[in-house]
Amino acid sequence: MVPTSPRRPGATPSPLGWLTRSSGSWLPPLLGIGGFLLLWQILSITKMIALPAPTSLFTEERTRNLILYPFYDRGGLDKGLFWQTMASLGRVAQGYTLAALVGIAVGITIGLKPTINRAFDPLFQFLRMVAPLAWVPIALVLFQKNQPAAIFVIFITAIWPILINTAEGVRQIPQDYRNVALVLQMSNRRFFTKVLIPSALPYIFTGLRISIGLAWLAIIAAEIVMPGTLGIGFFIWDAYQQNYVGEIVLGVIWIGAIGLVLDRLMAWLQTRISPGQ
Amino acid sequence: MTTSLVDVRTIDKSFDLRGGGTYLALKGIDLEITKGEFISLIGHSGCGKSTLLNMIAGLDLPTEGVVLLDGEAVKRPGPDKMVVFQNYSLLPWLTVRENIGLAVDEVMGDLPREERNAIVQEHIEMVGLGPAEAKLPQQLSGGMRQRVAIARALAIRPKLLLLDEPFGALDALTRGNLQEKLMQICNEHELTAVMVTHDVDEAVLLSDRIVMLTNGPGSGIGGILEVDIPRPRQRLEVVHHPSYYSLRSEIIYFLNRQKRVKQWRARPHQTVARHGLEKVNLDLGFLPLAASAPLAVAEAHGLFAKHGLDEVQLIREPTWRGIVDGLVDGTLDASLMPAGMPTWMTAGGHGGAPLPIVSALTLSRNGNGITLGRRLAEQGVHTVEDYRAYLKSHEREPHTMGIVHEASMHNLLLRYWLAANGIDPDKDVHLQALPPAQMLADLKDGSIDGYCVGAPWLDRAIRDGHGIAMAGDLAIWPGHPGKVLGVREDWAMAYPNTHIALTKALLEACQYCADPAHWAELSELLSDRRYLGIKPELIRFSEGSPDVDRAGPESEAAVPHHLFFGEGLNRPSRTEHLWMMTQMARWGEIPLPRNWVEILERVCQVGVFSTAARELGLEAVSYQRQGIDLFDGLPFNADDPIGYLNAQVIKRDFSVAEIPLAPPSRR
Repeated sequence: MVPTSPRRPGATPSPLGWLTRSSGSWLPPLLGIGGFLLLWQILSITKMIALPAPTSLFTEERTRNLILYPFYDRGGLDKGLFWQTMASLGRVAQGYTLAALVGIAVGITIGLKPTINRAFDPLFQFLRMVAPLAWVPIALVLFQKNQPAAIFVIFITAIWPILINTAEGVRQIPQDYRNVALVLQMSNRRFFTKVLIPSALPYIFTGLRISIGLAWLAIIAAEIVMPGTLGIGFFIWDAYQQNYVGEIVLGVIWIGAIGLVLDRLMAWLQTRISPGQ
Repeated sequence: MTTSLVDVRTIDKSFDLRGGGTYLALKGIDLEITKGEFISLIGHSGCGKSTLLNMIAGLDLPTEGVVLLDGEAVKRPGPDKMVVFQNYSLLPWLTVRENIGLAVDEVMGDLPREERNAIVQEHIEMVGLGPAEAKLPQQLSGGMRQRVAIARALAIRPKLLLLDEPFGALDALTRGNLQEKLMQICNEHELTAVMVTHDVDEAVLLSDRIVMLTNGPGSGIGGILEVDIPRPRQRLEVVHHPSYYSLRSEIIYFLNRQKRVKQWRARPHQTVARHGLEKVNLDLGFLPLAASAPLAVAEAHGLFAKHGLDEVQLIREPTWRGIVDGLVDGTLDASLMPAGMPTWMTAGGHGGAPLPIVSALTLSRNGNGITLGRRLAEQGVHTVEDYRAYLKSHEREPHTMGIVHEASMHNLLLRYWLAANGIDPDKDVHLQALPPAQMLADLKDGSIDGYCVGAPWLDRAIRDGHGIAMAGDLAIWPGHPGKVLGVREDWAMAYPNTHIALTKALLEACQYCADPAHWAELSELLSDRRYLGIKPELIRFSEGSPDVDRAGPESEAAVPHHLFFGEGLNRPSRTEHLWMMTQMARWGEIPLPRNWVEILERVCQVGVFSTAARELGLEAVSYQRQGIDLFDGLPFNADDPIGYLNAQVIKRDFSVAEIPLAPPSRR
C-alpha cells in the first residue's frame, strides 16, 4: 500500500497553494537570476560596461529575429540558431562517441593490467593536461580539413575523463566480487558482463558526464578557429568579426543552455542505468 | 584410507613486505577435518586465521606445504569449497534471486533451467527470504544479506563450506537467530564447515572442534578443543551444559594469554643491569588475593627500588595457570605462587617437561578456609559430619567443590581434611579448579557445593549470606604455608644477586604487612584496582572475620589470621615442601619423586633466604620451623614419605618415579 500523507486542515489543493508552499525551492534561484539580470541592465544603461543590456536582445532587430526564427535557412552559413547548434552537436556526437568507445575499451584494459597502466599512465597524464585549443593546430595539420579536425579535437578532449574513470572503476572492483567470481570459477566473458561492467558502471558514467561538458567546451574552441564552418562557435566568432555584440551575447546564452541540458541528460541517464549506486 | 575431507599438511605462509623482506604469517599448520565436522578457527586479529581459511578455499596458496581436499591438492578456488565472506559479497546490482541464480547458473549450467530455478527457489525458502527475493541487497538488513550469502553458498552444494566471520557485523539478536539457522542447516545437510570467528560463545555453540591460533608472526595451532556438547544444540540450553563454561574459559584463557605474550613482546626486553644487580627490570606475577599484600607494599613503598630493583612491574593474572605459563615461556621473571607449585612444576605436574622452580621465601601463611553454600546450610549441613551424611543421601547428584589450583594449599588441605573425615575427594565429590574471583558466583547459583579459597574470597560469601564457614585453616593446619615466591632455577642461577635483592625487598614488605597497625592501610592499598579492585572493608587480615558482624568489633582483636612475617615463618622449609609433594603424589597429581632429596635441595633456596635476612639484619627470622602439626595428629616423618603415604587410608594409586632433572644451569 502506498502511504498517503494526511491532508493538513486548511491546506488548499489549488495550484496557487502549491506555489506558495514550494516557494522555498523556486524563489531563491529566481531572485538570484533576476538580480543578476537587473544589475546587468543597470550597468549597461549607465554605460559602465559596453555590453548591450539584456532587454536589447528583444528590442534589437537582428537578435530578435534570431530568437524568434531559429529554423530559418538562407543557405551557406546564414542559418538559424537551431541549425547552427545541430551542426555543432553533430560534431560533438561523433567525437564524443568515438571518445567513449576508445576511452572505455582502453580504460578497461589498463584497469585490468597494471603493467600496461604503468606503461601508458605518464603519457595519458601528460596528454590530459593539453588544452583543447592547443590541439586545434595539430588537428588541422593532421587532417588538413575542418570537419575531421574538429571531431579529433573533441575526441582528444573528451577521452581522458572517460579513460581514467573507467580504469579506476575497474581497479576499484571490490576484491570480494573478484573472489566470488573466482570461487564460482566464472569464465572471463561472464566475469566481464556479470561483474566487471556492472561494478565499474558508476565510474564510467562519472567519466562520461564530465566528458560531455568538456566536449561541448571543445567544440566552441574548435569552431572559432575554423573559419567557414557551420556551427555555434563560428557563429559567435563571425558576430564578433562584424561587431554584432548582441549576437555574441545571445550565442553565449545559447551555448550555456545547451551545455546544461547535455549535463542533465547524462545525469538522468546515469540514474536510469545504475540506480542507487 | 583416510576419512578426512580436508587435510592441511604442515603449511607455512609468508607475505612479501613492501620494504623488502618477508613476514611469516603461519607456520607449520597441521589440521585434519573429517566429513560432517564443524571447525572454528579462533584467535586474535592478525593471527592469520583468515589467511588459513583462504588457503583452504584456494584463494591463496601456502608458501610451504599443501592443503588436500578429498585427497587432491587445492590449487585454485572452486565451487566445491564455497566461501561465505565477512561482508556478504553480494553483487549489489542483482536482486536476491539473481544473486543466488548467478551462482547456480554458473556452477550447474548443465541442468535444465526449470531445475535450476527450483534449486534457487528452495534455497530462498530455506533461509526464509521468499518475500524479499526481488529486492536488491541494499534494501536488506545485514542479517538478511548474510542469509542470502549463505543461501548462495549452499545452493551450489559445496563439499566444504568456508565462513569468514560470517556474523561479525550483525547485532546480537540477528546473530543468535542466524547461528541457530546455520546449525540447523548444517545438521540437516551434514555439511562440513570451517568458520573463522573471534566470538568465543559462537565458537562453542557451533563447533565440533575449536582450533585456537597463536599470535603471529609465525602463528601456529595453540590448541584444539573438542566440544562434547550433544547435537542438536539449542542456544539457551547449551549454556547449561557442564562443559560450556570450562570450554569458554579455556578459550578466553588462551586468548588472554596470547594478548599477554603480545604485550610482552611489544616491550623492549634487554636485561637491564644496574647497581651491581644482574637484572633490575622484572615482571612479577600475582593474583588478586589478600596474600599478595607483600608485593603491593613493596611496590607502593618503593622497597623494590630501595634494594636496587628500579623497574619492577607487577603483572596481575586471573588464574594460577597464567602464572605457570608465564614462567614456562619466560614472560614472567618471578611470581607469587601457591606453596605447592615449585615442587609441582619441578616434578612436571604442569604437563610439560619438568621445570625446576626454586623458592627462597614463604610470603604468607594461613588465610584460607572452607566455605559451604547456603543451599546446603538450609538443609542442615553445618559440619563435616553433616556433609558426609548429605553426600551419602544425595549420591546421585554431582557434587563439586571449588579449588584454585591443584598445586595450591587449598586443594591439598581440602583433600586432606575431606579424606580425614571419610570423604573421598575424588569419588564422593568432584574438585574443580576455578579462578578465585569466580567462586562466589558459582556458589551463588549452586553449581558448586562449596570451596576452599584464600582471603578475601573466603569470607565474601559468608558476609553476603551465600554460604557458611565449615572449617577454617586454623582448625586444619595452623600456620600452614600459603603463598611463596617462585622463580625458575635457571633464572636464579643467571641473576643470583637480583634474586637476593628481590627476596630482601619482599621480606621487608612481609615484615611491614605483619604489623596489625598497618592492616587498615593494607586493605586500602589492596582495594586499588591495580591489585584486587574490591572494597577495602572486604579485605581483612585478622582472625574471626566471618563472625565479626555478630560478635562486634571488639572480638576482632589482633589475632593474626594471615601470617606474613616472624620467626621461622618465611624461611623455605624442606619438610613442608616434602609434605606437599607427598600430598600431591597421594592424589596422583605428580609421581612421588624418588629423587625427592635432590628436588628439595634445589627447590628450597635457603641460602638465598639466609643471605637476604642477614643483610637486612633480620637473623632471628631465619630459624627453622619445626615439624608439621595437622589437626588429626598424624605424624609426618620427613625421612619416610612413602611410609607416610602408605599409612593414609584414602588415597589414589600413587607411583614413585625418578624425575629426570638436568643439572642446574643458567639459561
